[in-house]
Order: sequence, then C-alpha cells, then structure tokens
Amino acid sequence: MKPSSTHLLRREVDDLVGDPWLLSLVTWVPLLLAFTMWWIFSQGIATELPVGVVDLDKSRTSRALVRHFEASPSLKMDDTFLAVPQAISALKAGHIYGLVILPRGLEEQTLRGRPPRVTVFSNGQFLLTQKVINAAVLQAQGTYTATVETVWNLASVTPVLDGALSAALPVANQTVPLFNAAKNYTQFLVSAILPAIWQMMMGIGPILSLSAVHRKHTLSGWLGGTPVRALLAKMVFLTALFWLHGLFSLTVMYGGLGWPMHGDWSLLLVAQLMTAWASTGAACLIFLLTRDAARSISIAVVLVASALAFMGVTFPVSDMPLAARIWRSLIPICHYIEIQISQANYGAPVEMAIPQLAALGLLLLPGLVALALAPRFAGPGRARSGEAAA
Amino acid sequence: MTLLALMRNEWRAVWATPIIGLTVFGGVLFYFFLYPLPYVKQVPRDQPVVVVNLDGSQLSRRLERMVDATPQVKLACRAHSIEAARDIFIREKLAGILVIPEHFYRDLLLGRRPTLSYAGDASYFLVFSTVLEGLAGAGSTLAAEAKINRMLVSGQALPLAAERHSALELNLRSVFNPTAGYVNYVAPAIFVVILHQTLVLGLGILGGLENEARRDGERAYRQEAASLKLLVVRTGLFTAIYWPLCMFYLGFGFQFYAIPRHADFLELNMVILPFLLGAACFGTCLGLLLPRRELAGPIVMFSSMPLVFGSGFIWPLEAIPAPISAIIQYIPVIPAIRMFLGLNQMGGDFGMLLPVWKQMWLCVALYGVLAWVLLRMEKQR
Repeated sequence: MKPSSTHLLRREVDDLVGDPWLLSLVTWVPLLLAFTMWWIFSQGIATELPVGVVDLDKSRTSRALVRHFEASPSLKMDDTFLAVPQAISALKAGHIYGLVILPRGLEEQTLRGRPPRVTVFSNGQFLLTQKVINAAVLQAQGTYTATVETVWNLASVTPVLDGALSAALPVANQTVPLFNAAKNYTQFLVSAILPAIWQMMMGIGPILSLSAVHRKHTLSGWLGGTPVRALLAKMVFLTALFWLHGLFSLTVMYGGLGWPMHGDWSLLLVAQLMTAWASTGAACLIFLLTRDAARSISIAVVLVASALAFMGVTFPVSDMPLAARIWRSLIPICHYIEIQISQANYGAPVEMAIPQLAALGLLLLPGLVALALAPRFAGPGRARSGEAAA
Repeated sequence: MTLLALMRNEWRAVWATPIIGLTVFGGVLFYFFLYPLPYVKQVPRDQPVVVVNLDGSQLSRRLERMVDATPQVKLACRAHSIEAARDIFIREKLAGILVIPEHFYRDLLLGRRPTLSYAGDASYFLVFSTVLEGLAGAGSTLAAEAKINRMLVSGQALPLAAERHSALELNLRSVFNPTAGYVNYVAPAIFVVILHQTLVLGLGILGGLENEARRDGERAYRQEAASLKLLVVRTGLFTAIYWPLCMFYLGFGFQFYAIPRHADFLELNMVILPFLLGAACFGTCLGLLLPRRELAGPIVMFSSMPLVFGSGFIWPLEAIPAPISAIIQYIPVIPAIRMFLGLNQMGGDFGMLLPVWKQMWLCVALYGVLAWVLLRMEKQR
C-alpha cells in the first residue's frame, strides 16, 4: 500500500510539531539569534572610541591639536593621563584603544617651522577599532596640517588663500566606499551572519527530525515499504520550510531594514532553494550513514559552525590557502553568499553567478545519494503501517 | 559512594563514551587547525584594482607604477572611462578603482589642487581598507614629492624641504599586533572560545547521556553520589583534562602560529584555573538540563555566535548594547577572553585586570552553586 502524498505531508507536520526541540530550532531560536546579532551590530558605526592623550607640551598649539582629534566622531579623547607610563598601562589593560603622545616643545617647533613628531599607538589586537582609529587620526592630522601650513604659506609663499592651501596640500583626494556608502557594519556583517545562522539551522534540523523518527519508530520502520517516498517527503518538506526561512530573511534585510538590493530576486530565490536542498540532503546523508543522533550532529556542527569564517566576507577568499578553499567549497552557504553579495550589492549580470550555481548544483548530489541509499536502511513497514492504522 | 569509587566511575564514563573523547580531543585538535586556516596569510595582499587614467602624463603613469608597487594593491587593468571601470570592476571581481583626473599633471604644476579619487569595494571591509591603504599611500607619497619639488623650486635646500614638507610628523604605531595580522587578531580569542565550548559540549553530552539512561530506568552513580562530591569530582576531572589542552593552545599553539606571548607563566595559570572551573560548572549545569546528548551540540554552536561577536574583541564593547553585554558577562568565556588577551597579548598588569579575574571567580561560584542546586533537586525527585 502506497501512502498518499497528503498523508506523508501530514506526517511531516506532525513530526515537526511533536518535537519541541525541532520546533524551537526552526522558529524562535533562529529568530532570537538573528535579532541578537542584529542588535549587537545595530549601532552600525564604531564611534566615541576611548583614546588617551598625554600632553607633555601643554601649549595652545597642543591643545588645538587635541581639539582636531576631538572633532572626529570616531574618537573620544581622554586627557586625564599625566605621564606616559600611566597611559601605557591603561592601553595594556584595554581601557583605551589608542594613545596620542604630544611631545614637549611641540608649539616651539611648530612656530619655528620644524615639524614636531607626534606618536600615536593603536591597539592592533582589536583590528577593527584600530582601523577606525587610524583613519580618524590620519584625517585629523590632515586637517591640522592643512590649517597650520596654509597659515605659514599665507605669510611666506603667497597671500592668496587658494594658493596657500594648494601649497599645503598639492593633491586633494576623495574616497568612495562602493556598495556600502556609509561603511555601515550592520549591513556588512549581519547580511552574512543571517545566512550563516540559516545554514546552521539547515545543517541541524534534518538530523533532529530524522533522529526523532528513529527514536520513535526506528529508522527502518519509519522508512517502511516505500523508503524513497518517505525520505523524499521529509526532504521536500524541510527544504520548503527552509526556503521560506531564507525568503523571510531576504525580506527582512532588503525590505524591513531597507538595505539596497540591486539584483535579480528570482536568481536569489533559485540559489536559496538549491542551498536549502543541498543542506537538507547532506544532513540526511550524514544521518543515514551514522544512524546515530549524537555522531551525526557532531559532524554537521563541525561543517556548519565554521561557515561564517569561511564565507570570505571577513577575509578575502583569494587570500585563503588551498585547504581553506576546499573546505569552504563543501559548505553550501559559502557559494550562496557570493551570489547574494554580487546580486544585492553589485546588481551583477545573472551569468556571473554560473560558477556558484554550478557548485551548488554539485552539492545537490548528496541528497540524491541519500535517497538512493534509503532502501538499504528500510525494514518491514511495521511501525509505519501501525501508525497509518492509528 | 567513596570519593575514589566516584572518581573511577567518572573516569570510566568519560572514556567509555567515544563521542566525548572525540569532542574533547578531536575537537580541540581539529579546530586548532580549522579556525585559523582562512587567515594563515595574515594580511590580504595584491588586491586587484582598475585604473582610469584620464590624464596620460608621465607623472600619472608614475603614480600608476607607485600604486602597483605597494604590497596592498596591484593594477589589474586600465579603463578609459569611469563607467567602463565600473563594468570591469563587477565583471572581473576587482577590489578597487583609481581615478586620475584629466589635466592632473598640469593642474598640479599650476597649483590648482587636482583631486585623486579612490574607490573600494565596501562589501568587504578588510578588502576596502587594504585597497584604500595602498591607493592613499601611493597618492600621498606623490603629493609629498610634489610639495618638496615646489619648495626646491622656490629656493629651499633639499634636506630642509624634505624635513619641512609637513607641519606634523605622525608616527603611527600598531602595538600588540605590529603587523596587524589577522591570525594574531582572531586566534588568541577564538582559541579561548574553542576551549570553552568543547569543554561545555563534552560535559553537556555526558549529562545528556546520563539523563537518557535515567529515563530508560537505569540507575546511574550520579544519583547515588553526594551532590557536592560529584560536582567536585566532575569539574575537577574536566579541569585536569583541559589544563594540558590549554597549555597546548597557549604554548605550542601560539608558537606554531607565531603569535606574541607576554604573560607570566604563573599568572597565566592563575587565569586558567578559574576559566576551566567556571566552564566546567557551566557545562555541568547544561548537562543536567538536557534530556538528550545530541542537543548539546546545537546549543553550544548557536551560542558561539553572540559570544564571539559580543565579547568585545571584534566589535568594540562601547558599541554593544548594554543589556547584551550585561547578560553575556556571566558566561565564563567572556571575562576569560578579556583576561587572556589582556595578560598574554597586551602584556597587561595583573593588578589592573583584577576586577576581570574576580568576575571569573564569580562565574565559578554562580554555576557551581547552580549545578549543586540542580543536583540536589534531581535527587529529591
């Protein structure tokens, strides 16, 4: 007797609703996690980073320089330090991220036209804050020197303001952050973190679902007389569920949060569908091969937990060693994220996504292998027919 | 149950379950190589940029060569217009665009302040800052040369002109991670997270396993032993297992990845103790609450993400919403990261880090008491 499709679908819904852990995994857990991650980065731009100042000159010029630093929204100058050693230990303790030392004789040297040497230490252990601080310090130095030198030049080179400015800064420059104009960290990282959470859910969900039926009916009993249909029903159901999750996260990012989306929605949806099937299929295959919840979860965790690090968002793929590129090619979301970025950010032509789609195409195979293997693990349809009777 | 018998039982329980050994030793060893793997080249190099040279003078071609010579970027190709550059940029997956305006050389000579434009792909922050560093570095070198030339023309001596070309000499120094390498940045904190999470996971699996057995009607020694005794033996055992693993990470591991170490050996061990005890108590609590062993993995995995990004080493603590940092402060790994980074990476003074160390002991006390209460409650049921 072949179970009908509606029966199989109902069975899947019952499985999902009947297991509180699985139900949590696909409902409030990813939602709460995604919200937490968004909240952590919600400020978007690192501002008011505490930076210490040791002013050994205590002159008008040194105070003017400190005001240039203070003008930067990225920095919060702390000038309570009296001596260098005291400030260094605050830097070491992590109370300040950077330290500006204004040397003695700063004003005198400036007046004589000899550039004083200002030392700035920034904590390289916190790479992101360091980059923000360095950029702010360089900018402050730029505006300060432009002001001072323009005054010098007005006196000595040319009485015309434009000429004096050009003598101080002969070349102007303009920086353009493409595709994320505000250099907003939320948009940069959360648009990769949400897919990473999605990938974690898709790697774990199918295993929890299969292990629940294994616990209740044993795997062979559950696969029953029509193992391929039984497994296919679960995979299709979960893939569809995960696809909805993916669609939801896209809607939140590019609708709710209003991040720009320049590309092709249908391509993104196809890529998501492939990612969902690839993940579900791989997870099912892992469970079939081990038939043990704890072991298969461990394998899946090793793969999906590393997804974010290997996506290439924080560190470019082109600079990863071969072993890292091989590892990431096994994780579906690492291919998906490239499509998402090139579509949403660049609005790249669809054919640019062909290599990633091809890779995702290959990753569809584990699911098919799982289906092909299913009959091997099927036993007499005892448990399933019993369930059908009930 | 005597203390000795309890210790024997715990020892057997850990070794009789391959998945625990695999998680603890396999996980710690595998993650040691896996997580730093993407970053082993430390800094991105030779990011490809496209140049739009609308000037075509000798000077602008010199700027092109200077840009190409920086370690950060390389010139991948040329474009004739900004629109063409944009297309190439997207098609060839480049990292940046340099635009040299028309009459750049002439305007520079005439003192008209021509504008160089640098564009970078801000979809990837690290790539963006690398590209900018390379382009702006070459640009400012050119500007400084132009300035010195002009001063020479106006009659100043070369040494004086070279010295006086800027009103302020900025000596920008990166401390604690002089090369701004990515492994040095990520690994010290991630290692602490790996040690913490695998320890918690191992104990979570052990506890879940016992709960499964109990549901099946088996009476485990966990119910028979005195609560406090069991807690001491269990956390003691995992602390003892993890101590050499900590040594492996902080000693051999740092050596292997050439990460600087500044901490005093004794002080480091004074941090390892509350770190491992806190994690072990936390893991014991988790294990007592889990109905099945396989649930420990997903919980530990999902929690890693807010712990890593909320700990303050990536995104500054100042920018993290107060409720989030207030909550995660009580997970042992958070003060541990601050303590290990402060002592070992930044060479901080133990005295100044004392509040953090106390916070680590607070975690030990918190989860120690909680685990004890949970064990007592279990016995009364």
